[in-house]
Amino acid sequence: MGTAKNFSYEQKKAKWGWIFVSPGIIFFSIFSFYPILNALWTSFLNKKLVSLKKPDFVGLANYVRILGNLDFWNSMRATVTFTIGCFVPLVIIGLILAVLISSRNKGARALQLLYYSPAVLSSAVAALIWLLMFQPSGLMNQALNFLLGTPGNDYKWMASSVMVQISTVLVYFWKYIGYFTILYITGIGKIPASIYEAATIDGAGSWNRFRLITLPLLKPTTVMVSIMAMIQCLKTFSTQYLFTQRGAPQGPINVITLNIYNTAMRDNNLSRASVMSVILFLMMLALTVIQFKTSKSDDISY
Amino acid sequence: MTNDISKSRTIALTGNILAWSFLCLFGVIIIVPLVFMFGASLMDAMEIITMPYRWIPSRIKWANFTRAIAGNDESYVYIRNIANSLFVSGCITCTTIFLSSLVGYGLAKFKFKGRNIVFLAIMATMMIPFETIMIPLYMVTLNLGMQDSYRGLVVPFMLNAFAVFQMRQYLMTFPEDVLDAARIDGTSEPGIFRRIIIPNAGPVIATVAVLTFRQQWDNLLWPLLVTQREEMKTIPAYIVKFAAEKYADEGAMMAVAVIASIPVFILFFTLSKYFVGGSSMYAAGKE
Repeated sequence: MGTAKNFSYEQKKAKWGWIFVSPGIIFFSIFSFYPILNALWTSFLNKKLVSLKKPDFVGLANYVRILGNLDFWNSMRATVTFTIGCFVPLVIIGLILAVLISSRNKGARALQLLYYSPAVLSSAVAALIWLLMFQPSGLMNQALNFLLGTPGNDYKWMASSVMVQISTVLVYFWKYIGYFTILYITGIGKIPASIYEAATIDGAGSWNRFRLITLPLLKPTTVMVSIMAMIQCLKTFSTQYLFTQRGAPQGPINVITLNIYNTAMRDNNLSRASVMSVILFLMMLALTVIQFKTSKSDDISY
Repeated sequence: MTNDISKSRTIALTGNILAWSFLCLFGVIIIVPLVFMFGASLMDAMEIITMPYRWIPSRIKWANFTRAIAGNDESYVYIRNIANSLFVSGCITCTTIFLSSLVGYGLAKFKFKGRNIVFLAIMATMMIPFETIMIPLYMVTLNLGMQDSYRGLVVPFMLNAFAVFQMRQYLMTFPEDVLDAARIDGTSEPGIFRRIIIPNAGPVIATVAVLTFRQQWDNLLWPLLVTQREEMKTIPAYIVKFAAEKYADEGAMMAVAVIASIPVFILFFTLSKYFVGGSSMYAAGKE
């Protein structure tokens, strides 16, 4: 009798469990799983946005064409240079700032908020502010001329192909440095204070404490921050879109998301856009898998 | 010996000063563009490009804000776009809170066959960035007849995996006894959710709310894809259009930016601990 009642109670609970999670199952099926499978499928068709003709199955033809397309490789180059140019300073300076902030007794919280504040702005606003500072008579030219002692020089922040790439990186770095600093601070906060105390008693100075304790124990955090920063950078769109809308040369900053958007919406070529989406997805998936693997093998126990 | 101590004190003090100067210098770099935005929004266009730059406007030009709102064609569509952004971000925040708490509660407090698979499948969607599925998502929206409408702007973002994850993590720690006591008292399962779970989930609801709102406030790509009419656009799309058309009106551009930033800044300064806490929770989840 008791077991029968128990059984029905468990069953009832399981039923309610399914009821509670069902909105999630339905939502993610329609708006996440179906689209990614659809992107994969569309990448094997020749599908146009405004075409009444039923699309044909063309197999890997789209992939072959894209992989032989200079425009695509230019986008890959733009995306990879942007990602590397961005995540390396984000990871290194984020670490330095976090270590310095964590060792402050006073003012740590105010500094965190100050550094984080650009992250709450819209990307379009961030890009717009910098766009005006990058103008020929704008603040950035004045600042650089002052620092380098070259009065009246125009560094062509928005015009030369090298500078416009640096400019987009600067916008992104400014917007996200506070965010990644906070991730590091969380990581540092998890290192038990007793380790530092023991090291101090053993006579370790602050440099040695950093080099022999903080740095090695922060390895998992560093891996996590690096990969999150990389994934974030791969997704960049707003800055490049706004810059090109304001007449910056498109070639140097034609990152893959911008290329996907233009291919789909301007050229109406959904299949080619889908191929690029699938390639972008595979890049991010690879990074996520690496992150998963390293965080599993790197688990530190104190 | 005393010499040693005073020497190490001097080193510590120098280190402290160096650290502080670096942190402050960096803080200045971070804050300059924000100061520039607020200053330039009140300046005459000529003054913004004056060399050397003067930080404080010599004459306050409120007219920048008038032109910002009036827009290129005097249509005042920005007001509508601001309302759209508030409405769309607000709706998405509400649906996300509701749906993620339902799903998070189901995953945290009920045992059923396949629960882990459901959880992992939802977490796996975090690996599908929006940028890679926006084209098929756009096709779904077209097929459902939701293009160029509020439904099209809201429905694809009604829920996100990160919110589910946060809710689940938070509710896992909720004491089981309380729930069982309520069941013995005859409270129905929806009643328990409404009267016990929701009132006790304040902090996690606040975190999910601010992060969702901020993220949707920033959404540019999706409104660009899914809306055609100007009056259906949201703030980021207006910003790009304004910047591309009003080529030389820097003051008005910064006024547009200031207006776009006010709501998120208010949110940030009143609820900053949820922003910061939520970000670090994201990190913890990813690790």
